[in-house]
Amino acid sequence: MKKILVIEDDFEMNESICEVLTNAGYEAIPVHDALQAISKFESVKPDLVLLDWMLDPQLQGIDIAKKIRETQGTPIIMVTAKTDPEDIILGLEAGADDYVTKPFNSQVLVARIKANLRDIKSSEQEVLTLGPITIDVPGHEVRKDGTRLQLTPLEFNLLQTLAASPGEVFSREELLVKVWGYQFKPDDKFKPDTRLVNVHVQRLRSKIEEDADSPQFVLTERGIGYKAGTN
Amino acid sequence: MAKVFRRLVAFFRRSLQARWVAATLIMSTIALVSVGGFLSYSISAGLFETRQQQIMAESARAVVEVQNTFTASTSTDTATLQGLMNTVVPNLESKTTNSSRTVALLRSPGQSNGQYLQSPVSLGLDAGIVPEALREKVRTHASKLLYQSVSIIVGTESHPGLIVGSHIEIPVAGAYELYLVYDLGSAQQTLDFVQSTLVFGGAIMILLIGAVSFYVTGRIVSPVRKAAEVSAQLAAGDLEPRLKDAGDDVIAALGKSFNTMADSMQAKINELSAVSQMQQVFVSDVSHELRTPLTTIKLSAELLQARRDELDPAAVRNLDKLTGQINRFEDLLADLLEISRFDAKSVVGEFEVEDLNGVVGMALAHIQPLADSKGSVLEVDIPNGPVEAEFDPRRVERVLRNLLSNAIEHGEGKPIRIEVGQSPTAVAVTVTDYGVGMTPSQVSRVFDRFWRADPARKRTTGGTGLGLAIALADTTLHNGWLQLVSSPNKGTTFRLTLPRKQAVLFTQSPLPLGRRDS
Repeated sequence: MKKILVIEDDFEMNESICEVLTNAGYEAIPVHDALQAISKFESVKPDLVLLDWMLDPQLQGIDIAKKIRETQGTPIIMVTAKTDPEDIILGLEAGADDYVTKPFNSQVLVARIKANLRDIKSSEQEVLTLGPITIDVPGHEVRKDGTRLQLTPLEFNLLQTLAASPGEVFSREELLVKVWGYQFKPDDKFKPDTRLVNVHVQRLRSKIEEDADSPQFVLTERGIGYKAGTN
Repeated sequence: MAKVFRRLVAFFRRSLQARWVAATLIMSTIALVSVGGFLSYSISAGLFETRQQQIMAESARAVVEVQNTFTASTSTDTATLQGLMNTVVPNLESKTTNSSRTVALLRSPGQSNGQYLQSPVSLGLDAGIVPEALREKVRTHASKLLYQSVSIIVGTESHPGLIVGSHIEIPVAGAYELYLVYDLGSAQQTLDFVQSTLVFGGAIMILLIGAVSFYVTGRIVSPVRKAAEVSAQLAAGDLEPRLKDAGDDVIAALGKSFNTMADSMQAKINELSAVSQMQQVFVSDVSHELRTPLTTIKLSAELLQARRDELDPAAVRNLDKLTGQINRFEDLLADLLEISRFDAKSVVGEFEVEDLNGVVGMALAHIQPLADSKGSVLEVDIPNGPVEAEFDPRRVERVLRNLLSNAIEHGEGKPIRIEVGQSPTAVAVTVTDYGVGMTPSQVSRVFDRFWRADPARKRTTGGTGLGLAIALADTTLHNGWLQLVSSPNKGTTFRLTLPRKQAVLFTQSPLPLGRRDS
């Protein structure tokens, strides 16, 4: 059973989330105190972290995300009441893989968790190469010139998806579906925020490119989306 | 020429100072010309009158002298008489710097008796200039000294002159007429000098008056101009500039009261904007603060929904009500937050070049289930090929969804017509329903927040009452138009017009707003 750490200071909200997750077949571990979040994370070693963005004034969600990212690539979904694009970008840049905005419903929450926990089988090949970069799909390992790169599972999935069909252009919406597991429904209030993709591409580049500002491996196709470099 | 005139007129219309200076100049010119004319007239009259009196006195003496000379002469010898006559002219001639006198002693015509003697005339004097009328008078009024003004030619110039004539009785020879011709050139010269001095002085005077009035009006107009500039700056939103208000005169008073007005206005505006900012922050904070409890309520309702089989029918009914109202509450919260963002002007459009047809298609797909449930057929008329324009597709789709759900809600199950049009500068969508429609007073309030055409009307589509207000704000963000026409019981047409490119200005929508009744 996958373990999910639910860091949320509102007691009843935390309880409801845990009940939803338990019903969906996960083991939910509630944390109410932001200050205990890191130690709990280290002792529980969860498969995914659900992180409220507005916690203790001394320790915001953004700080916890940064702390976790220092050592672990564990998927982090931030739960935020803030809907301003700037706040969301700030959270993603701090290390969150995905976000849900309050008020969300249980299906959306579970879908996001499921998508962030799954492995992507985007190719039959076990090893993909992109110039000096080799991607070991079953081993979840990426090496560049023999050196192992620390990618989060999401970054791994993003790179794997692009590298599986080098030169093929993926739109941001396509990547949201393939990598983040978004399902577009006509009754969505908005088209989802594709900046989620931009932020993660930028983060991936900072790890695999020599110079993130003039990338060689993950290329931008202006007005369309991204593709893996073929050289 | 006409252009220059028009520009001159425009200049005078614009410049208060120019008008004042011009008016001062015109009035002072009139005054100066009248005074100068009067002066010139009286000086010339005085000058000539004095000279004339002098001339008459001189002439009287001369005539008496000449008459005496002849009367005293006892000679009957024509040669002696002729000699005597010949001395008369040189004796009377004079040529001084300020006046010259020439002489003619002419025999009166029509005499049969008496010796004929030659009539002596000054050298250079044309006896013909003596007018016949004067000669006749001289002959008839033998005892009188008579005069007439003439103009005499000296060299090439014409001078004013005075001819004084008198009857002279010469023994033996008969009746003669003595004419003394005075050249008044020097008096004229004096007069000319006086007049030119007057004109010159007058011109200088007018220039001085012009300069003084320019300066004075400048002193008065410049504070007024400054006040106009400063109030224009205030009107443009810059609340800092003030007028100079040093001194105690009326200009300083104007400056002081203007500044007081500006101060209180600035204070009021700052106060209002602070209040409105507080309100915006408040709305935004409230919307955010409500999100956490709403999420908990929502999750709890969903957890109950998952176990609805275990509940009795009344509880299920309550649970459904709860769920429905939670969704409505959520929509309301989202719309409130969106409006507060527009109010705070923190909305930034994400413009990209997109096919409007595609966005219309997405909105239609979204709204189709609602249309089906109300029995409205969606009739779509879109151009072949893409209708590309630069816009924020999420916002435009939201506007269209709003218009469509509005049309369906008020369309009474009749068809809804959707048209897309394009021109080189703009793209447009119209959404027409043939339902209840609105009166003009209702139309004027349709974009107001939380306003409903008919509060008693049962709402079925669950709008928040903010939809059209947000749609209008979204449209304004695009520099576009959101317009409508409506008539009661016939239906409503909304038209959204957007520029092709955000920088492009358009003046006409590609689609007409007139209603086409089906």
